[in-house]
Amino acid sequence: MSHFKWGRRCLATNVATPLSNVQTGVILSRVPQVTPEVTDFEQKFYKYQDELERRLMWTFPRWFYFKKGTVAEREFSQAQKYPLPARDGVWFPKGKPEIRHGRDRRFKENIVLPKAEGHEKQGESSATQVENLDDASRPIKPLPRVTEADKTNNQHSLERKLSRTLYLLVRQNNMWKFPAFPVPDDSKPLHTIAEEGLKNLGGEKLNVWTVSHTPTALLKFSNGKLVHDLPQDGIREYLIRSHIIAGEFQLNKIDGCEEYKWLTREEIQQQTDPAYFEKIDCLLSKV
Amino acid sequence: MFGAARTVQKSGANLQFVRTKRIRAGLDPVAQRVVTQLSVISANRKMPKMLKLSKEDFVKHVTVMRAWGVVRKEKKQAEEAQLKQQYESIKEANEDLKHVSQKLFEAANKLEIGKRFPLELRVPTEYPSRSGWFYDYTPRKL
Repeated sequence: MSHFKWGRRCLATNVATPLSNVQTGVILSRVPQVTPEVTDFEQKFYKYQDELERRLMWTFPRWFYFKKGTVAEREFSQAQKYPLPARDGVWFPKGKPEIRHGRDRRFKENIVLPKAEGHEKQGESSATQVENLDDASRPIKPLPRVTEADKTNNQHSLERKLSRTLYLLVRQNNMWKFPAFPVPDDSKPLHTIAEEGLKNLGGEKLNVWTVSHTPTALLKFSNGKLVHDLPQDGIREYLIRSHIIAGEFQLNKIDGCEEYKWLTREEIQQQTDPAYFEKIDCLLSKV
Repeated sequence: MFGAARTVQKSGANLQFVRTKRIRAGLDPVAQRVVTQLSVISANRKMPKMLKLSKEDFVKHVTVMRAWGVVRKEKKQAEEAQLKQQYESIKEANEDLKHVSQKLFEAANKLEIGKRFPLELRVPTEYPSRSGWFYDYTPRKL
């Protein structure tokens, strides 16, 4: 009900106060499309844990999944490799096998899945064979995690470095930075100006989601350089965080923007000024 | 499907076939199903042999787990430090905005109750999708 309360304050806030030297910048990021790369140590640790888990796993109860005397049961049991049973008068170098339900209980159990009919020969014959997408039982062939854009190092593409967070960087007034847009007065909140500015800069076909209305960082510029203490004529730049969800970013050369790139954190470090990077480093994801 | 027909000898030379259900050995099917299902959750004959590590292997195992703990701890600490820096950064920006324009500050700090991540935002998967990035986006006309 406070909107309808008449008073000095209410009238005063309806008038837009012009602001000078205030800008709102956008950290536009593309979230990772695939899972992060695992390090060598992580890879080995996961392998160790997996082997431990398999060693300590109970025997697969095949009689529950395959009814006795069915074709499925026969195919399954033919695909398995059975361990040698213990025999009298035979010396086993790795110890006497203890077989329960077709598994040597001293080791992990290896389950072999019988191959679906018709797929055994196709995989060997040609790798370039066109996949029949309607066939639900086709063998799984995942797409590569390294894309064409990675091979050609196309930094304008959104499909590069799928496992990393990419950030939009523009060359604005001969400085590589996050895009920034001037705030003329306080009639519109910062995030609205940022969203509208992005639409003007990157075209209408852009699906952008602003994380929060609150600015995440303040950059102080004076004569095109980052400063610690702001002089009278210095420019304040508030950074708003947002994600690109869909659409293609096509640069319209306005607001002094000449070039754009989608870069990861390490590439931003190489591209920007050390002082600028130091300021924004904590806002960038290491993944 | 059917068991051997039983012949019922009646008085006289009249032979008559009577169809009956086959008599199976063992349990009846309902009881057998219960037994099968129970055998799945039972440990009987399904448990692997106990893992007995030698002293050296045990030390190796402990070392591996401790190394993993150290790596995780370092990661966690780096994350927490970054969060702290981010908080300071946000605080600095908002303190400044408050002095520049009270109105903008209030608009920026309005509560956004019920805000959710958009459903279109992709959850990372092991391998990329067949369709790739969605370029042909056209905003909905309201």
